[in-house]
Amino acid sequence: MLTIALAKGRTADDVMPLWTSALLPKPEGMDESRSLVFHASTDGLAGHADGVTGKSAGNAGNADGRSGFGESEDEAFRFLLAKPADVPTYVSFGVADIGIVGKDVVLESGREVYELLDLKKAECRLCVAGRPEHRGKPAHRVATKYPRLADQYFRSRGEAVEIIPLGGSIELAAVIGLADRIFDLVQTGSTLKANGLVIFDEVMDVSARLVANRSSYRTKRRLIDEISARLGESITAQAGV
Amino acid sequence: MSIDVVRKWVDRPLGMQDLFPQQAKFRRKVESVLLEEFDEHGFEMVSCGAFEYVDTLLRGRAAAEAEAWVRVFDTLGRTVALRPEMTPSIARMAAPVLSGGNKEIKWCYAERVYHRTDDPASLSWVSGRAAESTQVGVEWIGPSSHEVDAKLLLMCQSGLKRLGLKDWQMVVSHAGFASAFLSASGIESAVVDDLLAMLARGDYVGFRRIVDGQEDTELASGDVLLSVLSKLDPFSSSRLTDLIHVSWKDASLGKQVEHYWDSLVQFAAQLKSMGLANQLTFDLTLTRDISYYTGIVFEVFANGVGAPVALGGRYDGLLASFGAPAPAVGFTYEVERLMAALSEIEWTTQPTNDGETGASE
Repeated sequence: MLTIALAKGRTADDVMPLWTSALLPKPEGMDESRSLVFHASTDGLAGHADGVTGKSAGNAGNADGRSGFGESEDEAFRFLLAKPADVPTYVSFGVADIGIVGKDVVLESGREVYELLDLKKAECRLCVAGRPEHRGKPAHRVATKYPRLADQYFRSRGEAVEIIPLGGSIELAAVIGLADRIFDLVQTGSTLKANGLVIFDEVMDVSARLVANRSSYRTKRRLIDEISARLGESITAQAGV
Repeated sequence: MSIDVVRKWVDRPLGMQDLFPQQAKFRRKVESVLLEEFDEHGFEMVSCGAFEYVDTLLRGRAAAEAEAWVRVFDTLGRTVALRPEMTPSIARMAAPVLSGGNKEIKWCYAERVYHRTDDPASLSWVSGRAAESTQVGVEWIGPSSHEVDAKLLLMCQSGLKRLGLKDWQMVVSHAGFASAFLSASGIESAVVDDLLAMLARGDYVGFRRIVDGQEDTELASGDVLLSVLSKLDPFSSSRLTDLIHVSWKDASLGKQVEHYWDSLVQFAAQLKSMGLANQLTFDLTLTRDISYYTGIVFEVFANGVGAPVALGGRYDGLLASFGAPAPAVGFTYEVERLMAALSEIEWTTQPTNDGETGASE
């Protein structure tokens, strides 16, 4: 059995179509249910081809002549829906063999996992933002979900700041004046805009990554390589549109 | 017990782990089983103090590696560190013995080793770096041949079998191959170091990004280099030039790569002839983060444990930096990780009659 930890929310939502188009067994009934563990449907790969979004014809061709997944006991897939920050933890402990999670979370966690593939999905940017009147002024207090990365960033700029670790709704800290900077993920920028905040600096682009437990990668190499290769082909196919 | 009462209990320092009777007995048991294996192969146990001079530990390796060690000053103001592993201490002890005329040294040990860590022990034992952990290992100094290396792997595997561990995978690589291969492919040496660091961390996305970011447009893509490295299989016993289309940018380095390859193919044949090819794969992307290795390196992985349960390799240059040039090879088991892997298969619940336990079949 191969266990896959998926970062709940945007990462899972964005990556699932790619997963399906790579003709990989997909979790059954994930949309309707509130459970956290899903088993892959076992009705063979032909059944999944119907669900392929977008470039179905091109991708279906890739799978020609390949054996299906999820049919034998060894190749059964199990999916865990986890809070993004917990995915590297699950994977590094081997509770999950592979995981799908944002690069931001991988970096912040500092956990030892193999990073196999950039899925080029759930793309966004890590940004420094704040209220317009603070632009150009030295930073003092920074609210963030990424204390480790924020510390690296401000140190690399030679700025000594106080980091305020928060769990969510980071924008709020800037709005109510708890912090004069926020260091957070920005997707469209609409939340920032709605709260009267502006981007001061774009730190890095992040996207979803396929990560693997070190030991699983060695003991289940063939299966994991196949998943990685199929996802890679789908990414290339979609990029070529 | 109610947990809302203030108690006068005392905390452990970060990273320190307590073992209660059942676990402590279990650890001792694992250590003894492994030491018995070593004993049968003629390895004698040695021991030494937990502190070494930082200078001693740094011989034959990069200064940056000291970053992960617990360093303090002794009363005379010299920097000492809690040993991060046993090999330097063994090399220090062996050098005078070698100079005294001994041609071969076969020593084993069971000791605690130390690293700096920010994680509580209960988290870091099974994956990643524990602040304090137990290593049971061997160092075989003097002889150098494919047969010696293969015998060492054989001993490592039979130790695992003696413990009753079944689902493990041994991954073998060569300390110099990836570096020579990347350099010979035309990558600058500073970049090669970055790439090796990426491989050691398992950051393949970073590896591809760095290669693809190079200005030299004649370079192969990161993806190609990575898949060539990971797919090369010495068991195939082909010539390297038959497996990949090579046009080395640097001919002498290319010769070096081909030399390494031929030696790996011979080694693979040796492994096959000794029946060691099951549960063993080559992966030339496997890179150890210790710089004194010169020949084969290997790691053993077990289900349910995120970090190697055994690891080692050949270090033919290290003894020279201790004043007694001699080739050497060694490996260690990571005892706490083995305990985690073993408790998954309920080793603890098996009836134990002393001395006989663990023999799997």
